[in-house]
Amino acid sequence: MAQDEREKLSALSLEEKIEHSKKIIREAIEKFGAEKLAVAWTGGKDSTTMVWLFRETCRELGVKMPGCMFIDEGYVFEEIWDIFNRLKKDWGLDVTIAKNTDVSDKAKNVGDMIKVSSLNERNRREIAKLEYGEEEFPFEPESFVGNHLMKTVAMNVFMEDNEIKALSTAIRWDEQEARIEEDFFSPRENPPHTRIQPILHFKERDIWDFIFKYKIPFCSLYKEGYRSLGAKGSTVKMSDIPAWEQDLENTYEREGRGQSKEEVMGKLRDLGYM
Amino acid sequence: MLGFFKKKQKEEDKKRKVIVLGIDGAPCTLLNRFIEQGIMPNLARLAKKGTLTDMTASIPEVSSTSWSTFMTGVNPGRHGIYGFTELRKGSYKWKFPNSGDVRSETLWEIAGRNNRRSIVLNVPSTYPAKPLNGILTAGFVALDLQKATYPESAYDYLKSIGYRMDVDTRKAQESASALADDIDRAFEIRKKAILNFLDNNEWDLFISVITESDRLHHYLWTALEDENHPQHGFFFDFYRKLDSFIGEMYERAGDDIPFIILSDHGFTTIKKEVYLNAWLKERGYLKFTKEKPGSMEDMHEQSKAFVLDPARFYIHKKGKYPKGCVEESEYESLRQKIKEELLSLVVDGEKVVKRVMFKEELYSGDLFDDAPDIVALSFEGYDLKGSINKTEIAGNSFLTGGHTRENAVFYINRGISGKDINIVDVGPTIMSLLGIDGIHFDGKSLV
Repeated sequence: MAQDEREKLSALSLEEKIEHSKKIIREAIEKFGAEKLAVAWTGGKDSTTMVWLFRETCRELGVKMPGCMFIDEGYVFEEIWDIFNRLKKDWGLDVTIAKNTDVSDKAKNVGDMIKVSSLNERNRREIAKLEYGEEEFPFEPESFVGNHLMKTVAMNVFMEDNEIKALSTAIRWDEQEARIEEDFFSPRENPPHTRIQPILHFKERDIWDFIFKYKIPFCSLYKEGYRSLGAKGSTVKMSDIPAWEQDLENTYEREGRGQSKEEVMGKLRDLGYM
Repeated sequence: MLGFFKKKQKEEDKKRKVIVLGIDGAPCTLLNRFIEQGIMPNLARLAKKGTLTDMTASIPEVSSTSWSTFMTGVNPGRHGIYGFTELRKGSYKWKFPNSGDVRSETLWEIAGRNNRRSIVLNVPSTYPAKPLNGILTAGFVALDLQKATYPESAYDYLKSIGYRMDVDTRKAQESASALADDIDRAFEIRKKAILNFLDNNEWDLFISVITESDRLHHYLWTALEDENHPQHGFFFDFYRKLDSFIGEMYERAGDDIPFIILSDHGFTTIKKEVYLNAWLKERGYLKFTKEKPGSMEDMHEQSKAFVLDPARFYIHKKGKYPKGCVEESEYESLRQKIKEELLSLVVDGEKVVKRVMFKEELYSGDLFDDAPDIVALSFEGYDLKGSINKTEIAGNSFLTGGHTRENAVFYINRGISGKDINIVDVGPTIMSLLGIDGIHFDGKSLV
């Protein structure tokens, strides 16, 4: 997308942004149908906003709300489970938990080593694809193999099993530089599907304005100072004041999230260090 | 009269400029091969005009140390960057050195106090950006573009073009082609930014580094020789594009401006990764309090030595480390013993370690105390590692290419004096070309 187009969308008012998101969601539902489309929900503020927008759009269209997919990568905060259970019930969400239990069953704690030979054929194939030649790998969110099996493979298996043709995710342009190239509809391989990214143009501030305006329940960790929620164990809070009261415009949203020290470690590991 | 000459000299200095293009991890032999094969016609043309030669990198041959040596012209004993990882003083907690830990003046700081303006793009170990006379956007490991960039106007520009600080190497999990696409995207936007700064800003010293080459080599090194590798063509195309870019930059600079190309280390095929901490454990020198240590914090008080990436050995000295147990009197004999045992380390029937050096043979300066006590240098193809939770001494990982200390590259569109070039010589050469003298470097000027 051209830069001026991106800037124009990012500068819209909250109501205009909501309208644009609904338009994207309508297009997605018309194109793929509710059955072949899944909404990736993490329990975080962004994907909860997206789920609400989906519900609202489906209500307006008079169609069934697509199913949600929740990835349990084995290190989910208790507070995330709280909001998960609450909204699942209150909003009547049809949620499938995608979990690579073949892997997680082999580890009691984060950091435990898992033997490659103990895994099923699919997981072993995935590890071979990474050209990982070791006999074991650590069960932890920042590990190359662990991350791949618990997140990517869990998600792919869910999509294959349910013949999902489109997956909606709640990434935003202002979150990370690498996301600037993303578009509202983006084709993906392995498995072939379309990513729908209906809130790309929301800024962090918009999310909080939206949540308070529409009284959307949110995970209690944000009140404790967490800005962005990733895996438990690699996410820390950046401040003791609630997320929405922090200096959102001049500080880095994902700093507490496996960023800084953890992110440096991740980047170094990707190049074979540590 | 003297005043007149001085003034004239100053005006002359004003005209002196230098352009530097860093190509992370580009081996000299590979560039020569691509020149011969006609893949890099621009570089071939430039090689005829000047000097293209191999160069040795720093010890250890990792980007943070090598580029810090380049940008200060001094050894790690003075600039303080011995690797990507350190332990915090008096603890076993990880510390990741950043720009604040580079303790010697950088080339652009020296240029700045001589009223010369620098543009510095994507040099590793410069994050977070420190203010300078000019523009800087940091390279690996930079996390946040805003903190990586000085001044604000440069950040605004980079953000507006969707600048990428690095390749998203996690794409490798999706597929090799997804990674290749991302390397290509990051490379395109990097070139765009470099040419924009080159064209639209005032500068005396212009330094830019391409990182994508290193990522390509680490992940797709086997694609170079294997014609059936799906990314074989991509590998060659990458270098074709790099060559066009070198041509574009050179066209803008012209023969009058000194034009330098360098890499921070070479690359080779990894036969085996060798896990030195596992080796130390096996030899009884290293013990952790847990069977599967989470970090160095699980260090056992009976440990005598440990390794930080890639092959930096630290003796677990009493007084220096909270649980240190090695007495001063034992230090020398212990180092000697480890050295001898390292030299006979064999993997798959081959010797792994070519040379073992002690800190005093390698480093000098105010930060000598922080230096590793022993550093091992391997035979080509053996990638020495400091991983802590490996149980085997050797293995393979998802990376197919590893660094070499030899076979880095140096090019300048001029003749040079001196041979056995080391990366520490590049900084002094640049300063001399800018007409700035009187700096106490460890390297020597090549012009």
